[in-house]
Amino acid sequence: MDSALIPKGVERCPLGRFLVFIAVVGAVLLWGVVAMFLIYIKGLNQTNMNNAYGFALWIWADLAVIALGGGAFFTGLLRYIIGKDELKNIINYAVLIGFVCYSSALLILAIDVGQPLRAWFIFWHANVHSMLTEVAFCLTCYFIVLTIEYVPLMLENRQLQRVTFFRHLAHNMHGIMAVFAATGAFLSFFHQGSLGGVSGVLYGRPFGFRSGIGIWPWTFFLYTWSAAACGPCFTILVTRITEMATRKKLVKDNVIDLLAKIAGWMLLTYITAKIVDTVYWAAVTAPAMGFTLLDFYTNNPGSAYGLWILIAEVGICGVLPALMLVSASVRRNPRLLFLAVLLAVLGACLNRWVMILQMQAVPVLPFEKWFTYLPSWQEIATTILPVAYGIILIAFSYRYLPIFPQEPELNPLPEGGR
Amino acid sequence: MDQPKNKRYGMVIDLDKCTGCGACMVACMAENNIPFRDDDTDKLLSVSWMHVYRLSNGKPFPHAEECFLPRPCQHCEGEHGHSPCVSVCPATATDYDMHTGIVSQIYTRCFGCRYCMAACPYHVRQFNWWDPVWPEGMERALNPDVSVRMRGVVEKCSFCYSRYQTALNRAYLEGRRELSEEEYQTACTQACPAGAIVFGDLNNPAHRVHQIVKPDLAHGGRPRNPKVFRLLERLGTHPKVYYLTRRDWVRRAGDNEIQKT
Amino acid sequence: MKIDRRSFLAFVFGGAAGTALSPLPWKLTDDISIWTQNWPWTPVPPKGETTYVASTCTLCPGGCGIRVRRVEDRVVKIEGRSDHPVNRGGICPLGAAGVQLLYSPWRVRQPLKKVDGRFVPVSWDQAIGEIAGELRELREAGAPEAVAWIAETDRGTTAELIRRFLTVYGSPNFIRTPSAQDAWETALYLTQGQRATAGFDLERVSFLLSLGSGLLEGWGAPPFVFRACGALQDRNGRFVQLEPRLSKTAAKAHQWLPLQPGTEGTLAFGLIHVILKEGLERKPFVATRTAGLEDLKRNALREAFAPEAVAQATGLEAKTVVELARAFAAAERPLAVCGRGAGRVPGGLQETLAVHFLNALVGSVNVEGGVIAVPEPEYIRWPEPEMDAVASQGMQTPRVDGAGSERYPLARYLLNRLPEALLQGEKPAVRILFVSGGNPLYSLPDSERTAKAFSRIPLLVSLSPFLDETAAAAHYVLPAPTYLERWEDVPGAAGFPKPLIGLVRPVVAPRLATMPTGDVVIRLAQRLGGTLRAAFPWESHEVCLRQTLAAAWEPLRKNGFVLDESFRPQPFETASRKFEFGNAELKPLAEFRPHPAPGDPGVFKLTLVPYDSLRLTAALGTPPFLVKALESEILWKNDIRVEIHPQTARDLGLADGADARLITPRGEARVKLYLTEGIRPGLVGMARGLGRGAHDRYLAGKGASANRLLAAVEDSSGFEAGWGIRARLERA
Repeated sequence: MDSALIPKGVERCPLGRFLVFIAVVGAVLLWGVVAMFLIYIKGLNQTNMNNAYGFALWIWADLAVIALGGGAFFTGLLRYIIGKDELKNIINYAVLIGFVCYSSALLILAIDVGQPLRAWFIFWHANVHSMLTEVAFCLTCYFIVLTIEYVPLMLENRQLQRVTFFRHLAHNMHGIMAVFAATGAFLSFFHQGSLGGVSGVLYGRPFGFRSGIGIWPWTFFLYTWSAAACGPCFTILVTRITEMATRKKLVKDNVIDLLAKIAGWMLLTYITAKIVDTVYWAAVTAPAMGFTLLDFYTNNPGSAYGLWILIAEVGICGVLPALMLVSASVRRNPRLLFLAVLLAVLGACLNRWVMILQMQAVPVLPFEKWFTYLPSWQEIATTILPVAYGIILIAFSYRYLPIFPQEPELNPLPEGGR
Repeated sequence: MDQPKNKRYGMVIDLDKCTGCGACMVACMAENNIPFRDDDTDKLLSVSWMHVYRLSNGKPFPHAEECFLPRPCQHCEGEHGHSPCVSVCPATATDYDMHTGIVSQIYTRCFGCRYCMAACPYHVRQFNWWDPVWPEGMERALNPDVSVRMRGVVEKCSFCYSRYQTALNRAYLEGRRELSEEEYQTACTQACPAGAIVFGDLNNPAHRVHQIVKPDLAHGGRPRNPKVFRLLERLGTHPKVYYLTRRDWVRRAGDNEIQKT
Repeated sequence: MKIDRRSFLAFVFGGAAGTALSPLPWKLTDDISIWTQNWPWTPVPPKGETTYVASTCTLCPGGCGIRVRRVEDRVVKIEGRSDHPVNRGGICPLGAAGVQLLYSPWRVRQPLKKVDGRFVPVSWDQAIGEIAGELRELREAGAPEAVAWIAETDRGTTAELIRRFLTVYGSPNFIRTPSAQDAWETALYLTQGQRATAGFDLERVSFLLSLGSGLLEGWGAPPFVFRACGALQDRNGRFVQLEPRLSKTAAKAHQWLPLQPGTEGTLAFGLIHVILKEGLERKPFVATRTAGLEDLKRNALREAFAPEAVAQATGLEAKTVVELARAFAAAERPLAVCGRGAGRVPGGLQETLAVHFLNALVGSVNVEGGVIAVPEPEYIRWPEPEMDAVASQGMQTPRVDGAGSERYPLARYLLNRLPEALLQGEKPAVRILFVSGGNPLYSLPDSERTAKAFSRIPLLVSLSPFLDETAAAAHYVLPAPTYLERWEDVPGAAGFPKPLIGLVRPVVAPRLATMPTGDVVIRLAQRLGGTLRAAFPWESHEVCLRQTLAAAWEPLRKNGFVLDESFRPQPFETASRKFEFGNAELKPLAEFRPHPAPGDPGVFKLTLVPYDSLRLTAALGTPPFLVKALESEILWKNDIRVEIHPQTARDLGLADGADARLITPRGEARVKLYLTEGIRPGLVGMARGLGRGAHDRYLAGKGASANRLLAAVEDSSGFEAGWGIRARLERA
């Protein structure tokens, strides 16, 4: 029925099956939307946040999706600026994933504030000293850039291509995409960094605070670096998952291998820096503020924030995937590659988790105890909401847009096809 | 008239005198239109600008000792007014006033991102998780000098800024630019039945707060009086709320500076 | 016109672009944010002229001076009066929350009458008329003594009006609500011959020994006591707290001696023992100004009060007892005080006597820094009323509570004995009961029995501003105005060492159809006519107040209080004109008998000890601000948390925060545990003031009431002497 919309030279599942899939994911989406409206109407009391946990699941989700959406800017940087031409075969998907991630982040941010109807004050009454202002500006700008990058992709749709204006627009936009890629990379460097700065500048929070250069704490650079490292890993991970879901090979191995190799080296350098940072923080920064490393990891209920979490983040989800990814033999093994990118992605998520959640759980006043927090269903639903939205957008994009240039070649149609 | 000199309003709380009665909390609630809810037992969901902590020496019976520590906003000066919360607010809804040393909060500007709450190590910043609701008739007791905060914004102790403004207005009407020590006092200071709270200008050697604390103003206001300490001195937040005690264990329980040097 | 796809698209995109470029979206965005800044459901308090009115707080007997801030006709804040001798600017949390009582929507708005178990609003005329009818009927039946009236205090014009009404009506049953003052006043009378209240010159003490008094938890006038305790610290004085749990007072004391509960009297005798044995008493004072020391020696020097025995009983070390006695005796201005917690329970008379003896031994009686007998004010001098035969006969009958009888000759009021008296006989001894204070249905121990006893009264009239527990059980509620809406004279301040009269004045016009208790009395008398009408020549309480105070009225109205600065302690009025350690009246009290906690220790392994908190009230409803300020160690959600020692919890297999059933011989309650090292093992500490059956939604139904679990314990003097009860905890 919708065959007129489906790109040439590729096979798609029957519309009925597609719609059932969309309906299932749509139900989850609807659940999130209900929770979202509940929160808009009743306020943030619908969450399990409290005065000690002003930042919680949502801020973590924001930081995590933006880190993972970093695949878009970094792949763009490699493709358009550095000139890694093979990456043109995955750049579309990287942009799409980035678009999903960033739009999700904006959506969550819009839910997360107590007064969403005047959230625009962040622009109007901007405080230049605040990392969040920097985040808001760069994030919004970069989202516009991503939209600009995604638009020509949408215009590639067969039906839209028939409109001359759209065809020309798409063509011209492709032509100047390097400019946007450069802008995106520049903006990303700052907002990824300023997200790192969010906890890094909090000198009242010894767990999060880091020294640095000028106004930028070390976490500023670490976040950008880790986004550049783990973003591509997430792109690979989602590509692999898409391939599994569609039971098709969509991107050639050499493309994935190149991206994985670069990500591996990025991750290895990042994790080295992270280890140095951790050691310096544990040995110098925190003690100067009157805290020892173990203050941050012991005596908490159920050892939710024991030293294990540091080992998991830096070791299992940091050093291990980095070493795996730089090894060509591991990269050639699809299962090991999958495991490595998964670990790297988890590592980024875990890093964002501790920098936000653990930062607030740690008692700072000596007479206080650890603070605990478990999200409410409304928080979980609204956090899953963008995931469902992302899946739907990806599903539609995959179905109707030529996201994967290599798909027709890798999956030749049986007899002449369409 | 001369331009008035900058003030550094601050407070010293005598922990040996504080009885933990809660009069400061209630006086603050009445002065500053603090809302109350059916269930306010979870203090992490409750708005109270002043909170009285209970400190314990951690020893077993019968050697256990307790101390009460009232905690208003610490009005941190940080370095040059960069208090932990002020610098992070993305919408300039909170500010460090160089003329008074008071950290202000503009409720109608705040859009509830709560970054300042994450930034404050003292938990003085609290969020209005609910709409403030007064039972019928009780809104008559609201103080018109202090605006009622809507749901979804952060609020905190203002050192009763409205009382400062009222006092200043009166002084101006009388042709004065300077306030005397007793003209501007916070509600908690005034209410404290134990006389445990002393409030005034740390810059002014004639004020009791200065005389007790003997602040080293060149070094972030570090107390020179050995019996006086600040919460989390080593963070460099440079609070303007000081605590006075003769008991060593209270000093140790109140700040990690001593035990870890 | 035909619309093709192209023109449609052009229209949509063009329209969108046009709207975006127009001021509309920007204006809307701005307007919406302005709306969020002015949500109509977020109140904006109206501005207006600010004025201050000086008055007196009556929320406790402390008598603090208050400064009430008004904006136009609204009360917005209550502060302490900085020029008031009692509180000097300070205010307790309850006093600061007083506005919420004025504006509570749970106040009684007009007279209520119970019809078929439900309250219906009635007019004042009807209510007064019907009650007067019942009074007349009872009087005509020749049983005027079957009327009783429970009042907050027995001082001031309101109390005197009530007493006068009862007298001329023919009932001796005026009952004041109990407090530690009952025991102190009796002790002063017995040893000094003075009818006076006990004042404590805390501001000049150098060694303060508190036998369980919650000095920082509502005992006396809180701001006065607080300031004195702070000043004691400044003077490097010493403050020792004897109490089984680490109360706020104990936490502030220089030394906390956690003795076994209920052994305070034994310890006092133990200290006397050491002082006498070692000859540490203040010799000049004891030699010249006291008599009967031999009687005390005979009693206190017994082996039962030797340090070892006292140590055994109190759980303290013998060495501690001896050292404490020596330090106390050696101090420049020592003072011992008693009255457990906030002093709302009189306690055993012998215990108070022991503490008073202790003070006398160190010369701290009627001197600076000591216990001072503050005479009762004498400004109320009304002509003797004319009484008819019914009244005279009625006044001859014994009091219903037994006070002043052969069995309880020393007591003047025994509200605690009223339930017992009501439960006797086929018909209850009281047919009509007025309650204008104290909320006995909540505040008396053994609530269930009290409720049963009160339910036997055919006509219960409450004069409370609030629908408290007693009002809820009443047949009529005649709402009184709050202390911010009426005139009242407040003679004396609890524990304050100088004679003082404070004035309560209307800060705002009465908000509701209320009537001051004094006016209710006058109107009842007018309705009843005859001698009653004649005895009340005043048209209103306010007029009565002005005329009574006469020359004192103007200074009082102007200043808000009258303090007798020149007051000096009066000479003893005993037969010997000395302080008497022994005399005929004291003789029956010589042999000290402590009161054990009721209940079988075999079945109930623990002991429940109630405690007072300044953030909770005992009779009055706790205002919302105080409930909000209540520690989460006391109330968590709807559950009261009881304190137990971690060792006790371990023995029971219960953890911190665990739900449990607290069971005593009198009842059981659902509680949550709070483990603390600040309580003697084997005890259960429970805050008084929760488990309210009435009041607002911020208070009602939260936690459990200690009084439901406690039993009444009667001292030989008749006073309520309960301090705890045996209990057990079971996992819920």
